[in-house]
Amino acid sequence: MADTAAALTVEEPLDLVRLSLDERIYVKLRGDRELRGRLHAYDQHLNMVLGEVEETITMVDVNDEVQTQSLRSVNRTVPMLFVRGDGVILVSPPSRAA
Amino acid sequence: MSEPANKRTPTDFLNSILGQRVFVRLNSGIDYKGLLSCLDGYMNIALEQTEEYVDGELRNRYGDAFIRGNNVLYISAI
Repeated sequence: MADTAAALTVEEPLDLVRLSLDERIYVKLRGDRELRGRLHAYDQHLNMVLGEVEETITMVDVNDEVQTQSLRSVNRTVPMLFVRGDGVILVSPPSRAA
Repeated sequence: MSEPANKRTPTDFLNSILGQRVFVRLNSGIDYKGLLSCLDGYMNIALEQTEEYVDGELRNRYGDAFIRGNNVLYISAI
C-alpha cells in the first residue's frame, strides 16, 4: 500500500522522471537542441537512454548584408540514443492530466 | 543567543516556498514560472503549470517540468 502510494507521488524532482519511464518525453538540451523520445532508462545524473528519438537543432542564421537574423531548425531521427546528463536543461513528461 | 536565527539556511527559504508560484532564472537567461512542487539537494526543481519565457516572451508551456539544478541562477516566489 505504502509502496504503491510512494510509486505514484512526486516527493523529489527525479520522481517526475521516474514516472515517465517508457513514456515519450521532451528534453531540452544545451546548444539549442531538443529531443523527443521514449525514456528507456535514466540515472541520478540524468544520463538517459531514449528510443525513437527526434532531435531538433535550432540555429540562428545571420545575414550580414541586411543585418537580419533568421531561425532555422533541422530535424533528424535516431533509433536509440544515450544522452549524457550534464547537457540536460529541462525534462518534461507527457501530460498526466486526468 | 539568537540560535534559531542562525539556523535559518537557504534551504529553509526554499522549503518555505514549496507549493507557491515561483520565478526561476537559468544561467542561459531563460525564465520559468510555475508552481514549485519539489526540490532536492542538487537544486533540481519540479514545477507544475510551467511557463517558459525567452527574452520576456512566452515560448512554451509544460504541465510538469524537471529542471536540472546546475542550470539554475536564482529562484524567487511571486
